[in-house]
Amino acid sequence: MNIHEFQAKQLLQDYGVPIPRFTTISHHHRGDIKRAIADLGSSEAVVKIQVHAGGRGKAGGVKFAKNPKEIEEVASSLLGMKMVNNQTGPEGVVANTVMLSVPVDIAKEYYISVVIDRDHAIPILLASPEGGMEIEEIAHKFPEKILKIPITMDGRVRSYHLVQLAKFMGWKDEAAKEGMKLASRLAKAFMKLDASLIEINPLVLDKGGKLWALDAKISVDDNALYRQPEVAAMYDPSQYSASEVAAKEFDLAYIALDGNIGCMVNGAGLAMATMDIIKHFGGKPANFLDVGGGASKEKVAEGFRIILSDPKVQAIFVNIFGGIMNCATLAEGIIAAVRDMSLQVPLVVRMEGTNVDEGKRLLRESGLAVITADSLSDGAKKAVATLKK
Amino acid sequence: MSILINKKTKVITQGITGKFGHFHTEQCLAYGSSFVGGVTPGKGGQETLNLPVFDTVHEAKKVLEIDATVIFVPAPFAADAILEAEDAKIPLIVCITEGIPIKDMLEVSRVMRESKTSRLIGPNCPGVITPGECKIGIMPGYIHKKGSIGIVSRSGTLTYEAVWQTTQLGLGQSSCVGIGGDPLNGTNFIDVLELFQNDPQTEAILLIGEIGGNAEEEAASWIKKHCTKPVAGFVAGLTAPPGRRMGHAGAIISGGKGTATEKIRELKKAGVHIADTPADMGLAVQKALQQSR
Repeated sequence: MNIHEFQAKQLLQDYGVPIPRFTTISHHHRGDIKRAIADLGSSEAVVKIQVHAGGRGKAGGVKFAKNPKEIEEVASSLLGMKMVNNQTGPEGVVANTVMLSVPVDIAKEYYISVVIDRDHAIPILLASPEGGMEIEEIAHKFPEKILKIPITMDGRVRSYHLVQLAKFMGWKDEAAKEGMKLASRLAKAFMKLDASLIEINPLVLDKGGKLWALDAKISVDDNALYRQPEVAAMYDPSQYSASEVAAKEFDLAYIALDGNIGCMVNGAGLAMATMDIIKHFGGKPANFLDVGGGASKEKVAEGFRIILSDPKVQAIFVNIFGGIMNCATLAEGIIAAVRDMSLQVPLVVRMEGTNVDEGKRLLRESGLAVITADSLSDGAKKAVATLKK
Repeated sequence: MSILINKKTKVITQGITGKFGHFHTEQCLAYGSSFVGGVTPGKGGQETLNLPVFDTVHEAKKVLEIDATVIFVPAPFAADAILEAEDAKIPLIVCITEGIPIKDMLEVSRVMRESKTSRLIGPNCPGVITPGECKIGIMPGYIHKKGSIGIVSRSGTLTYEAVWQTTQLGLGQSSCVGIGGDPLNGTNFIDVLELFQNDPQTEAILLIGEIGGNAEEEAASWIKKHCTKPVAGFVAGLTAPPGRRMGHAGAIISGGKGTATEKIRELKKAGVHIADTPADMGLAVQKALQQSR
């Protein structure tokens, strides 16, 4: 799960990571701007929109304001801003919150993050003296300027690694001490929070020689949210489409795409493969939807509702290979959903696996206008063909 | 011959009294697998499906001869269940459970890498089957047929699709292994490829990958160097948008890495016959087999 920058900063502050003083204003409390400015205790501020996507600066969502009046104007104009870029998809994301932050006089920018190194199955700290650009860009332009150091299972960076880090980053004296402390704290936070990513980009050295986490990004492992209630409470449904929010509620994996053939599949691999084969036969998938292994009748029906809530959908292809999932359950879910929603678009169903004969019988006897398919390619071809009529 | 399991394999279920554990143990028994007991803490001394239930794996091991365990324990407790099985030196640990926190898996991965007694398959996987002999997992049994193709895959239902296609073509399978869709797993493509390479029953291998990580690329370089048997493959997610996690925790294209195109290119370079669509996986391995003869 992703959280906002201000939420990440709240969490990191608790671990002692130095963060420039900040405060937030939400869309619902526009009247609070004056109070927020007073809270900040600074007549200048950086105003940043809070959305779950990068590229805010380029999109005009980060602005400098040099006096309280300007802060008020900028904050008002940024509240409710819709940001659209390649990370958000065509629908964009709305900034329901802006963050005011005390500006820092930057002398130098760095990059530091904690991630999991899959190949070695260990958490690692990534650091670079080249901050202010994406890590992929740093890796491409200056591969020798990225340091990778391992973190212990209890969230410690070994002391000799900290020394190595300070030298690599070019930190001296007080900055070296601060930088080593900061790295240790990020590592500890990473393990304690069940994070899958903590990224400080940029980490900056101010002209007084002090280090600050100017930006902060945290992603937390969805599978661990049950034991991270503080983070789980930070979930912001406004950052996702209505369909994605509904899917999450019913524990369905759903991603909207830009095509017109709605897909409902069980299993992530088969769901991707179904998208691929639709494209292969000249169609365009409207979504990725994995109803999961043990889907109930209700879950299947909800999947249908979500697919049909997309106005672009002109046909539906259901592809289920029952394992844990029982084809009869699927058939019941389809029948219930179709009756309930008076389906207006063609529906192609291909099923195989556990209890397939019963599933097929239920569909046949329901009297619904379902186009049945015998195989994956047969189903995909039929779904694409319905649009050509 | 086959790999990992055969008709002699004695299996227990961890989480045997839970809904899924119970149901699938029953299904595996119906398939003909030799299950000898189960474990559920607090239910030791009971019986279910005519099998004895124990509180711990250690206790089960004192009484029973155990070659393999299958884990259906809920995600918050599944990592401990794996570690318990390893501690009891069970040779094959198959973890079906989905949604184990990655931090828990860091410890499991470390232990399993150093383990001299045990191998872990999964987590988040459909399990392992040697058709006609032993099924340890949640795959529908009837789609399989004893034969010559070794199948290894990161996905569940997409594996069933591949199995079904090879069955319909009359090829059948020697063994099928689902290694799981999580970023950290116990057994990877290369481990299974090596087993298939050394298995006389396996005449050709079908490898099914998906976007994310670099397991397919590593498999490709291993195949190029070590594999003398024909290999066919498919990589799901050619049309997946970057930056979005496609269901599996491991399936995400990030920073331009882990794309299907890149994986397919590497596999082709290693001489793997790539199926153009997921409907052609069976045909691709059939073709690979024919060309090698």
